[in-house]
Amino acid sequence: MAPVAKAAPPRSRPGFFNRPQNWAPYVFLSPYLILFLIFGAYPIIKSVSLSLYATNGPKDAVFIGFGNYRFLMGDADFRTAVWNTLVYTFWSVVLQLPASLGLALLLNQKWVRAREFFRLAFFSSNLLGQVFVGVLFSVLYQPQYGLFNKFLSGITNGGIPIDTKWLNDPNLVMPALVLTSLWMYAGFNMIYFLAALQAVDQDLYEAAQVDGANSVQQFFAVTLPGIRPVATFVLVTSTLGALQLFELPYLLLGNSAGPNNAGLTIVMYLFNNGFQSGDLGYASAIGWTLALGMLVISLIQVRLTGAAKGSAA
Amino acid sequence: MKARPSYPFGPAALVLMVLAIISGIAIALTPPPKKNATLTFWTFAKPHYESYLKAVPAFEKAHPGVTVDLQLVANNGLAQRLQAAFQADLDVPDICEIEISSAGSFFRGPVKNIGFVDLTDRLKSEGLLDRMVESRFSPYTSRGRIFGLPHDVHPVMFAYRRDIMEKAGIDVNSIKTWDDFIRVGQKLTIPQKRYMLEMSSTGTDQLEAFLFQRDGGYFDAQGNLIFDNDVAAKTLQWYVPLVAKNSKTRIGNTLASSYGSVIAQGMLNDYFVCLVAPDWRTKGMEMDIAGIGGKMALMPLPAAVPGGRRTSTWGGTMLGITKHGQHQDLAWEFAKHLYLNDKDLAARFEGTNILPPVRSAWQEAPFKERRPYWSGQALGEKYAALAPDVPAQYSSPFISQAKSKLGEALIASVQYYERNGENGFDAFVRKTLKDRANEVRRQIARNPY
Repeated sequence: MAPVAKAAPPRSRPGFFNRPQNWAPYVFLSPYLILFLIFGAYPIIKSVSLSLYATNGPKDAVFIGFGNYRFLMGDADFRTAVWNTLVYTFWSVVLQLPASLGLALLLNQKWVRAREFFRLAFFSSNLLGQVFVGVLFSVLYQPQYGLFNKFLSGITNGGIPIDTKWLNDPNLVMPALVLTSLWMYAGFNMIYFLAALQAVDQDLYEAAQVDGANSVQQFFAVTLPGIRPVATFVLVTSTLGALQLFELPYLLLGNSAGPNNAGLTIVMYLFNNGFQSGDLGYASAIGWTLALGMLVISLIQVRLTGAAKGSAA
Repeated sequence: MKARPSYPFGPAALVLMVLAIISGIAIALTPPPKKNATLTFWTFAKPHYESYLKAVPAFEKAHPGVTVDLQLVANNGLAQRLQAAFQADLDVPDICEIEISSAGSFFRGPVKNIGFVDLTDRLKSEGLLDRMVESRFSPYTSRGRIFGLPHDVHPVMFAYRRDIMEKAGIDVNSIKTWDDFIRVGQKLTIPQKRYMLEMSSTGTDQLEAFLFQRDGGYFDAQGNLIFDNDVAAKTLQWYVPLVAKNSKTRIGNTLASSYGSVIAQGMLNDYFVCLVAPDWRTKGMEMDIAGIGGKMALMPLPAAVPGGRRTSTWGGTMLGITKHGQHQDLAWEFAKHLYLNDKDLAARFEGTNILPPVRSAWQEAPFKERRPYWSGQALGEKYAALAPDVPAQYSSPFISQAKSKLGEALIASVQYYERNGENGFDAFVRKTLKDRANEVRRQIARNPY
């Protein structure tokens, strides 16, 4: 009798816990994906379609094709908002980044005492939040009774009048906004620069010293190239943040755009149209125009700083 | 030996997953809190809220089984929340109070789709248009239909420092016209130290009040934009020299865009002699600068022409009943309970100084009470005497754009005047008003309705 080959035990299906794990990432991602689809992707797609409608009140929408975009191009208020936003972005980046880098360089020096305290002190303004800062500075900027005017009037012996209206004079609204954001964000960006400075290879400084480089030459030849990836990151994020400015002027100027729309930003204009006038179609067109603009500016920045090619590293 | 099943991502991930499942099931099975209230009411003004709280028990007693949920919502957020609620058809209150500057934004689109109940027929059939100051319905009227019940009249007077006027030997009763007032103002104004009147060179609050006084405004009764008409041009030409920096007739300045404590502080410190004072603002003064009680008094606005109107209007609130509500008749009853009861209105006046639009209420004692703070004047009587003359102001969905553009025209005109004086000023004012108005007209033209 031929030996009967022992039948192989039936192959059991793997249990729940022993199944192959290739499904696992999808399961773990699914809560996020579901929420994103509902609260992210759908509104994004809906806003594209909305931007092609003239919306009037809660229940009415009339298809107008690219009418909102065409109107936007000739809209004087939108031009004001774009100009204000660009001016704010330019000045906040031009002032903030060097100030942040300067603070970081200072606090990176070993001879500075109580560095941890100053690090916290400079950073702490960012912990307050824009609402608090907006309220605080609206009091500081008060004419006649505000600390800012009392200080300036005092040191200039009345050269700057004590009733200077920082938030009521169309020429002073933007400087007031830039100064406030400088106070708020310089410490925040300083932390990035500080971390980058501490990561720069010290051997490079020693080599530069051996080659006879002075401290200015060391800064341009060693420090700046060393922190370039971080500087690019800070530049891009600061610019994008500035382009989306909303809360600070909204609070500082008492829920308005200020005199002569001097504090009107693109996002504020979007908000006014969408949520105060109820014109969601036009607001969507503003939103998409802003998104496109931000994309272009970011790409230019990344290109100019060479980060896209990885040359920064 | 049977292998122990093991979770492939370790115990921590397993615990997290189990917790997520349990909490998810718990949330799914927990019923949402039941809304027991029959009527939900939103208001943005704390003094209103506090006085309505006192009025609710009587209404609930008169309507057994009915409950009212009063909610205080911040003014800045209320209009936006309501817009969102209308759009989503979710969490819409039955009744809502809206500030006048936001009201127009709810009147966009076809009349049939406005989110508030049309009150016109109810008001007419119950004779309420005759009981109330009729001009106060105008801001809440769109295309001939009334969508809001007015909460107030808000006549405007000047609140002034009686002691400063008396010290300067000025009899305020002799100030009948703006020319009289400006003459006195030039005597009392000391640049950078003291100004006759709080007037802004960048904001439109005061300009707007003086425009209304002259029967001007942003829109007419038919909804046409009119802030570039002859009245507006003349008002702006008259106003600018009173606030421009190098003007010989300058009598006005301001300290802030707010109406609150900073301005009141300016009054206390002799920076201002007079403030433009709608009734609602007098309560703020009583609270913020209680210390100068007895030195303050009220006077009517000077007339633009001899015998002309001695008041204007500033601010306002409407009550609207939403179409979303299931109990619209009951909401109407509650609205009348709050807005038409003379005794309650009198009690509310004591707490807010706000003159109600119901004429019969003005006969109640609190309106005749002499106030020591206002140098013994009967504040209620003074405002009530001016109430019938309060000008109408008409609203539009584009009111905020119109306000913004008038502000731009004001700033441009002030800057022009400071550079060029009277030279070419008339033509400049008319052109800048026309240009700004045309920008609003372009916005209006986009509206397919």
